[in-house]
Amino acid sequence: MRGWLGTIIVVGVLACAPAGLPPFAMTLLTEALILGLFAMSLDLMVGYTRLISFGHAAAYGLGAYTSGYLLLHTDIAMPFAVIAAALFSGVVAIGVAWVCTLASGVSFSMLTLAFAQLLYAVAFKWTSVTGASDGLAGIPRSPGPFGTTFFVGKSGFYYLVLVCLFGGFVFCRSLVRSPFGSVLRGIRENEAKTLSLGYNTRCYKIAVVAISFTLGGLAGALYAPFAGFANTELLFWLFSGQVLIMVIVGGAGTLVGPIIGAAFFMLVSNVLSSWTDSWALFFGLIFILFVLFAPQGIWGLATQAFTGEVAGARRGRWRSLNWTG
Amino acid sequence: MTLLPFLVTQCVNALSQAALLFFLGVGLTLIFGIMRIVNFAHGSIYMLGAFVGYTAARITGSFWAALIAAPILVALFGTAFEFGILRRLYRRDGSAFLMVTFGLALILGEVIRLVWGSEALQVKGPAAFSGVVFILDEPFPVYRLFLAGAGIVVALAIWQFLERTRLGLLIRATSQNAEMVHALGTDVNLVRSGVFGIGCGFAALGGVLAAPLVTASLGMAASVIIDAFVIVIIGGMGSFPGSLIGALLVAFVQVFGNYYFPDLALAFMYLIMLVVLVVRPGGLLGKEA
Repeated sequence: MRGWLGTIIVVGVLACAPAGLPPFAMTLLTEALILGLFAMSLDLMVGYTRLISFGHAAAYGLGAYTSGYLLLHTDIAMPFAVIAAALFSGVVAIGVAWVCTLASGVSFSMLTLAFAQLLYAVAFKWTSVTGASDGLAGIPRSPGPFGTTFFVGKSGFYYLVLVCLFGGFVFCRSLVRSPFGSVLRGIRENEAKTLSLGYNTRCYKIAVVAISFTLGGLAGALYAPFAGFANTELLFWLFSGQVLIMVIVGGAGTLVGPIIGAAFFMLVSNVLSSWTDSWALFFGLIFILFVLFAPQGIWGLATQAFTGEVAGARRGRWRSLNWTG
Repeated sequence: MTLLPFLVTQCVNALSQAALLFFLGVGLTLIFGIMRIVNFAHGSIYMLGAFVGYTAARITGSFWAALIAAPILVALFGTAFEFGILRRLYRRDGSAFLMVTFGLALILGEVIRLVWGSEALQVKGPAAFSGVVFILDEPFPVYRLFLAGAGIVVALAIWQFLERTRLGLLIRATSQNAEMVHALGTDVNLVRSGVFGIGCGFAALGGVLAAPLVTASLGMAASVIIDAFVIVIIGGMGSFPGSLIGALLVAFVQVFGNYYFPDLALAFMYLIMLVVLVVRPGGLLGKEA
């Protein structure tokens, strides 16, 4: 919001977290950051380009299975395995996007769903590579690179995740503010018009899906050594639905919002499940209440509360109207 | 086992499976056609139907009473949900419906667990249709034969309802052009409430009919919702004949695929969906190009 200051403060606080938090909280926080990266990657498609993907779990699952496979069967250092898995996910996405962008609207969503389910079916049956319904278990955090064992430990791994999230965020923010990002927003608002301005919108859409899958794959690739396993649930459509909801609850088209949405999702499900067995009931109610009363999401709500005070006191309506663009 | 009896029994088996899938798909496609909603809660509604049917059968002691009572009760619930919540959202984009129906699915799953417990409940089918019948000397459960028949009867009934009645005309018109129907003096919101209720009712009918086969359990919703999506996507979202074709296609692929290529059956279903969507992005009989 306020340039880089807010970001640096937040990253600074997060960097101090291992010093102050108990191990259980650190595990939760690490998982929340991984999911945050995943949700943010989807926001590039949903929030900036209005490509509503029902199959983003495919990115996560691809990343998780690839990094899991590399760590189990080769000696590659974990950070390199993670990067390789993310890139693999992005490369696969080019093919997927090439097919999916033949359609638009609901059909696009359904095609992404079909691809993700196809991968799910493959992962379920290709026993020699994916371990079928058992998944890949006992995925190690291989030491390295250059002989360091820093990333093997709990806080070291946390820093790896934090760096990936921060790097991903900086990358996405630069991307959406670049001319490329303007074209994406053009596609979101009016694809026909953007096309008639001479932009090959399909190429842009394929590119954004590939970038989104690379980052989503990065998140999944981090999850496999984090949890020590990868199973078919990471590819299941329910997970795609969940991440879409994280994006919407947090606030689509804001990058920060989906990260908060993911953290909120993790936090609420953990708090509720420790408090009551019927957490899903309250979870469902929270979703419905959000849709009815806070459609702009958590981040939108926060921004509104913040600017409402400041703008109302000093500069009046004009600023608040122009600030949203 | 010789080939012909095997083929015949498998075909009837697939037909019975198609009937169950059709009850789900037709509700989903009607709801999508009228409201442009992708109803994520449809599987949970189907599950709700099975559990309400279980209780109705317990109270009345008759499967037939449950078969009538459960869809009506669930349809009323669906109408109330449309009236109370969905109605506020028609001016918003599709993500609102996604979240609301996803939330409803979570809530229903939990409410069912709280009310009926987490154990699978056995529902007894009608006595008249228990046991087996011999088709070309092959034993075949009568109940599955009954399901196939019920599917055909209901499909014909819905077809005639959509084609011949005034309400059917209104439903078709609303899915074509809701604003025009509204301008001609029909309360479109009433049509929407009704169709959402009817769609939920059909899902519940499917749930009650499936219960004697698979028991009423908490896993029902997840096991069918994706099949229902596949059917509707293959057939074309919003198309009634499309949902029929989709249900038949998916059922035959499932039944024969599971027999001949058990490892590939699941992938094959999604592959068909992909091919259909790539060739015709709107589905086989869909409107969107």
